[in-house]
Amino acid sequence: MRRPRRAETHTLAGAYALDAVTGADRARFERHLARCQACAQELRELREATARLAGAVAADPPPALVERAVAAAARTTQWPPDTGRPTAWPRSWRARPAGRAGRAPGPGRSWRRRLALGLAAAFLAAAAASGGIALTAAHHLGAAQRSELAVTEVLNAPDAVLLSARVRAGGTVTVVMSHRDRALVFTTAGLPPLPAGRCYQLWLMGPSGDRPVSVLPAPDHGMTSPVIATGLAAGDRVGLTAGPASMTRHLASTPILMLSLTA
Amino acid sequence: MGISDAGRQAPGASAAAGKAVRPPPGADLEALICGAARGDRGAFEAVCARVGPPVFGVVRAVVRDPCQAEEVCQEVLLEVWCAAPRFEPGRGSAMAWVTTIAHRRAIDRVRAERRLAERQLRATSHEVAYDEVAEAVEARLDRKRVRHCLGSLTSLQRESVTLAYYGGYTLREVAVLLGVPEGTAKTRMRDGLIRLRDCLEGTA
Repeated sequence: MRRPRRAETHTLAGAYALDAVTGADRARFERHLARCQACAQELRELREATARLAGAVAADPPPALVERAVAAAARTTQWPPDTGRPTAWPRSWRARPAGRAGRAPGPGRSWRRRLALGLAAAFLAAAAASGGIALTAAHHLGAAQRSELAVTEVLNAPDAVLLSARVRAGGTVTVVMSHRDRALVFTTAGLPPLPAGRCYQLWLMGPSGDRPVSVLPAPDHGMTSPVIATGLAAGDRVGLTAGPASMTRHLASTPILMLSLTA
Repeated sequence: MGISDAGRQAPGASAAAGKAVRPPPGADLEALICGAARGDRGAFEAVCARVGPPVFGVVRAVVRDPCQAEEVCQEVLLEVWCAAPRFEPGRGSAMAWVTTIAHRRAIDRVRAERRLAERQLRATSHEVAYDEVAEAVEARLDRKRVRHCLGSLTSLQRESVTLAYYGGYTLREVAVLLGVPEGTAKTRMRDGLIRLRDCLEGTA
């Protein structure tokens, strides 16, 4: 069964180029990469495409940031040229000699572990100060990240279920829901664009009342990025309205979609 | 944190007045990185001027939190300096080398944060405040082409690619979000990138 496995490993090149491969799969692909010339070549080509994705979101960094980097470089010893076997880049810049100067953020696991430890220490210190771990975590993260974190949590929940529905006016909505987390992740594709000053808003509606969740972000290629709704209660349904651009607290218009969440 | 000696090695490359370092119009990025690899800090400044915007852009898109994005961006630039001796021209473009580092570091940061916070948040139900996720990003020429080419992908390819790249989602998460098996998401990412590459080559 080696052959199919290898072919399958090979097709991870795209996900790997997008840094979407984790854990054992990542290690397996990197081992494969060290032996497979064709894969290394393909990966290089795919990275030219991802470089363009980076270029497409280019934004000027604050000048002070660049100045700090340049100043830090003046105090930081460079790594010696890689003498390992020539493969694709990641290997060459992930292998890192033990003796190095400066406070450069190193690649690889050890750096990640150090970062994790550092953050954990920060959490504990802050927790001790504020007397509550849960609160600390929430304080530590920015709003966007908390939302992001909750999204990831739901997507990885063991009991996650997927629902999707068509909107009569056009487009589809997709809901990934976790009862365990009492939360759902909501995305849309192909909803009709709204006139300026109006936008879509997500609601939870049910026996415990109608609660506004969030205004949907502007669509990108017709797709809105995931929005999280927490605090799901029994009997809740998901509602979508088209209304004024700022979030409203009370339902003023009939939802264009009502989705029952009972599986 | 003075920068007074930043341009010492490169006459005329002074960072005085904090203005953008002269963007060397013709100088090619590979040559500049090779210069930096020899310890030329003037060349490194020029590298920063050139790669700063894509690096900052992609880090900001993935990391979201502005303060952390700046921190990661600075780390990436410093890593470019440190790793410059390991850059191998001929193994892909210099820009791809740099943006690969930037994306990887941004992803490392968000995943480390998520893992850490997960345990602590799991026990509690929390209110989430809403920020604009992924503020629609501006750019210039490149953006138009990339947008055009993204538009030429199937929607599943495009969503797989953008959720992973800009959203920082893992393969598994993308599969769940799109409601497809992991194997499907995996091939869509690959096919999508190949198509994107072909399209960009065609319009470059």
